[in-house]
Amino acid sequence: MQTKRQKFKESYLLYSFKRDKVAMVSFTILTIFLLAALFAPVLAPYDPYDTASIDIMDSEIPPSWVADGDSRFFLGTDIMGRDLLSTMLYGLRISVMIGIGAVILQAIIGIGVGLVSGYMGGKVDAILMRIADVQLSFSTLMVAIIVSAIVQLTFGVGRYEQLAVPLLVVIIGIAEWPQYARTVRASVLGEKNKEYVEAARVIGLDSKRIMFSHILPNSLSPVLVISTVQVANAVMSEAALSFLGLGMPVSRPSIGSLINAGFEYIFSGAWWLTFFPAILLIIFILVINLLGDWLRDVLNPKLYKG
Amino acid sequence: MKGFKIISLLLMLLIASTAGAKTLKLAMDADPVSLDPHVQLSGGMLQYSHTVFDPLVRWTQDMKFEPRLAEKWERIDANTMRFHLRKGVKFHSGNPFTAKDIVWTIDRLKKSQDFKGLFEPFTSAVAVDDFTVDVKTTKPYALLLNMATYVFAMDSVFYTGTDANGQEKDIILKTGASFALDNESGTGPFIVAEREQGVKMVYKRFAAYWDTKSPGNVDEVVLTPIKKDPTRVAALLSGDVDFIMPVSPQDFKIVGNAKGINLVTMSGGRVITFQLNQESRPEFKDVRVRQAIAYAVNNEGIVKKIMKGTATTAGQQGPKGYVGYKESLTPRYDIAKAKELMKAAGFEKGFEVSMMAPNNRYVSDEKIAEAVASMLSKIGIKVNLKTMPKAQYWPEFDNRAADIMMIGWHSDTEDSGNFSEFLAMCFDKDAGYGQYNAGNYCNEKVDALVLGAQVETDLAKRAIMLQEVEQILYDDAAFIPMHWQHLSWAAKNNVKLEAIVNAQNFPYFGDLVVE
Amino acid sequence: MFAFIVRRIIQATVVMLVIGFIGFSVKHQLGDPVRDLVGISVSIEEREALRQELGLNDSFLVQYGRFLKNAMHGDLGYSFFYKRPALDVIFDKAPATIELVFAASLIILLISVPVGLYSAIYPKRFFSKFAMGVSIVGVSIPVFLTAIVLIYVFAVQLHWLPSYGRGETVDVFGWESGLLTIDGLRHLVLPSIALSSIMLPLFIRLIRSEMMEVLETEYIKYAWAKGLSRRRIWMVHAFKNTLLPVITVGGVQLGILIAFTILTETVFQWQGMGFMFLEAVERSDTALLVAYLVVVGALFVVVNTVVDIIYGLINPTVTVASR
Repeated sequence: MQTKRQKFKESYLLYSFKRDKVAMVSFTILTIFLLAALFAPVLAPYDPYDTASIDIMDSEIPPSWVADGDSRFFLGTDIMGRDLLSTMLYGLRISVMIGIGAVILQAIIGIGVGLVSGYMGGKVDAILMRIADVQLSFSTLMVAIIVSAIVQLTFGVGRYEQLAVPLLVVIIGIAEWPQYARTVRASVLGEKNKEYVEAARVIGLDSKRIMFSHILPNSLSPVLVISTVQVANAVMSEAALSFLGLGMPVSRPSIGSLINAGFEYIFSGAWWLTFFPAILLIIFILVINLLGDWLRDVLNPKLYKG
Repeated sequence: MKGFKIISLLLMLLIASTAGAKTLKLAMDADPVSLDPHVQLSGGMLQYSHTVFDPLVRWTQDMKFEPRLAEKWERIDANTMRFHLRKGVKFHSGNPFTAKDIVWTIDRLKKSQDFKGLFEPFTSAVAVDDFTVDVKTTKPYALLLNMATYVFAMDSVFYTGTDANGQEKDIILKTGASFALDNESGTGPFIVAEREQGVKMVYKRFAAYWDTKSPGNVDEVVLTPIKKDPTRVAALLSGDVDFIMPVSPQDFKIVGNAKGINLVTMSGGRVITFQLNQESRPEFKDVRVRQAIAYAVNNEGIVKKIMKGTATTAGQQGPKGYVGYKESLTPRYDIAKAKELMKAAGFEKGFEVSMMAPNNRYVSDEKIAEAVASMLSKIGIKVNLKTMPKAQYWPEFDNRAADIMMIGWHSDTEDSGNFSEFLAMCFDKDAGYGQYNAGNYCNEKVDALVLGAQVETDLAKRAIMLQEVEQILYDDAAFIPMHWQHLSWAAKNNVKLEAIVNAQNFPYFGDLVVE
Repeated sequence: MFAFIVRRIIQATVVMLVIGFIGFSVKHQLGDPVRDLVGISVSIEEREALRQELGLNDSFLVQYGRFLKNAMHGDLGYSFFYKRPALDVIFDKAPATIELVFAASLIILLISVPVGLYSAIYPKRFFSKFAMGVSIVGVSIPVFLTAIVLIYVFAVQLHWLPSYGRGETVDVFGWESGLLTIDGLRHLVLPSIALSSIMLPLFIRLIRSEMMEVLETEYIKYAWAKGLSRRRIWMVHAFKNTLLPVITVGGVQLGILIAFTILTETVFQWQGMGFMFLEAVERSDTALLVAYLVVVGALFVVVNTVVDIIYGLINPTVTVASR
């Protein structure tokens, strides 16, 4: 019964995907981006982390097709003399890592809390949801500003570079788990009184089992839908943090920190420093959002509003 | 209908307030932290002091002393300087200015946490008559006139007594409300008319200003702090402000090319250096390693690419024009030589170090640090760089938290000795020497020469001593000098800024002409 | 109702205590405020004396206890930088942020309602599709980029609008308002557009989907059958029911909007609470930081409560006390 339904859904998913050009194009672009991020070390013409190969005298070279461009650097170079294309590829990799990592963390916390809260109800539910409210009252930015300021100081100098990625994952993950918790809770409340759950309870299965192997699978489509939006949000949050100088360090730039670095040069004539990373970021987030939209339309789940 | 009336009334007010009077809209990176000139020794506060107060003497563009409240001065004996004061000067409160005010001001300077160090050599000031004052020092002091540029006469009558809260009016408080925090009475060209900290400050011309010969014709200065460089530049380019300082290097091109805007730069006295901590990193004890680093750093490249030519490459602490400056001490970029030295020292394979730098203190500080880190990797030294805002950086600096630390220094006395006293002398907590020597470099000979120069009044001999200091530091590669930052200002063409700026970065707004 | 409000007040107190504790425990990690107060050549002993005077050398518990005691009297500490009580500083900066958020909300409201309704009623028309397309692109552009582009185009290139700050403000009973002068309004345009750009697409889409859902319901179909006028069905029957979820979401999003002012205010040098917060972080003005967190926490609780009350008023099936 279960598998048949799943199969039907899959085929319907595929069917509507084939009919939707926007979804197909978005998916293609997203795949390309993800592959580019995954294989950045192979694809990038230079290794931007290898400081020994960078020469300050190569700095601020415009893209190769512009006058004064240099054929060695297709999209030009940044202020340190790093190849912009390579730096962007590595930056995308970091942004993707943070985005996906943060969403996984959000999902783990959020689904756990949402399931327990929705299934148990009563006092437990009230307390957990209040915690979620409090958490929401501190937007991502504020949590991040404080936590990263602390961690930057608590751990020694040398280690920040290595710690930055997990740190940002934790910050963004912690700041936004309530989104998941609320969504999952809402759908659990919807499923809880359905017959199959009643049946499971009558058989005498324990609540853990009911929650995870019965209710959860039936609440997955809203989770899937918000996941796409949340990945986009997480990438944006990371960019915003880096823009405020609280994200990735200068030597390991993400897309956001590249835009931040370029912002100082916005009037200097070195337009490519801001333009290319900005376009990359916008397209990346746009295709995720478009896919999310399409998924929402197809799966049409009952989402928690807000 | 009522709404219309209000709007038209407002419009009328708007028009009325702008007619006739010459207003200068000024954007700086920060506004004064207090109205009390003695609360902090910083560039921003001194700029404020020159606007609202007057010093005994001040620097001219060619580094000479210009009489202000002191008309002339003479040395009476080895330890005493006599100042003859200007007559007929009034404070903003209307009180007349006399020798008493100078005595009172110097006494207060000696109480100020920030200035007491500089005024330590001073024993007292004595009013001989209403317009003559003798300033005495404990020992012969070569820099007495340099110090006189810090004596901004405060209105002793105005600042005496207790305020509404029962607090002494002359109290210097860094963290709390005080009378001097919100009230001022100086003799300067401008009165503070309005102040909203961090948002805006309005200066109005002092009608009874003594310097009637000054060409200055600005009636009102509206100072707005704009911290972000691009926003500040955008404000000038869009015509929202008339005058900005500083201009960051990357914006020189657009500001310089913009129509109707005048960009002025001047070489300044702030040196940017890196210190190599010999205690946390034994490798740095080896003079060859330190030299190798000096050879590996491409000062020229950083000045050209990151500073866009708005700095002068440095091989020593004090810039040209300072007594200790030695022509032969120039940057020594040579990678091959650097690698050779590393090999000779037995570190051919290199090692790993940590580096820290501020990211909002010096011009392009973060980028300079990043570039240096990448340059060092070329001789096998892997650098873990961390940059942070200055409020977090200084505690780290005090703890000598990283193996390489960036520090910029501007001599408060406009003299070479000051650099070494803070940056290169052996750390001595009690005497206060070497307080910013995060490299823990220590050389008795340097200490002896610097201390000797303090009391040497024969200027020629003194110069030779200070030049020898620079030579020793250079040979020892005691620190890695980068460059001297240039100062920069930009304004609309009708603002004649060239005449009022100087290497100390104290624009004399009282003398500013706006056409 | 009374019980509900009491509960909320208790809740707010707990929230604020927790926030105060968190804020307090991190403040030591945010750098040394003393360094920002003194010139660079001030001796180590002088600085130590200042730390002692400020009570920065006391143990954590002593400092927290002192903080709590003072907080009961409505004193959230003293800003090192402004040399004034932190709450005063925040209340001075609040009008700027509130006016910005207000202007942005106004833009959001004025555009999202008509556009959202239109594209729900006529989903197949070109304008609806266009609006949906633009809104999804809008949601994908980070707010700081929007802000930069706005400044570059309208201030630097076209010289139409000012690029930074609040311009001329008028003091209305202690409230520094920029809404009453032409200069102030001109300064408000770009920042409020930038700020609204994050939420606007979201609201258009939300109103559209809610409205579409409502239009599908039985009672709307019934209303059609009854032969009511189109205008009446859309505006009164359908739109009223769309409002409920929109208000709920709006309450939550308002908090987020206040947080996003940090970015907008930074780019435009808008002298509000967000800008102040970021500067306080950079200056290690810890008392101000803690106070800001407490105030924002309180604000959020208040907004949530008001939303719940409005919710109860509009929708009689939800009794406030039971929530």
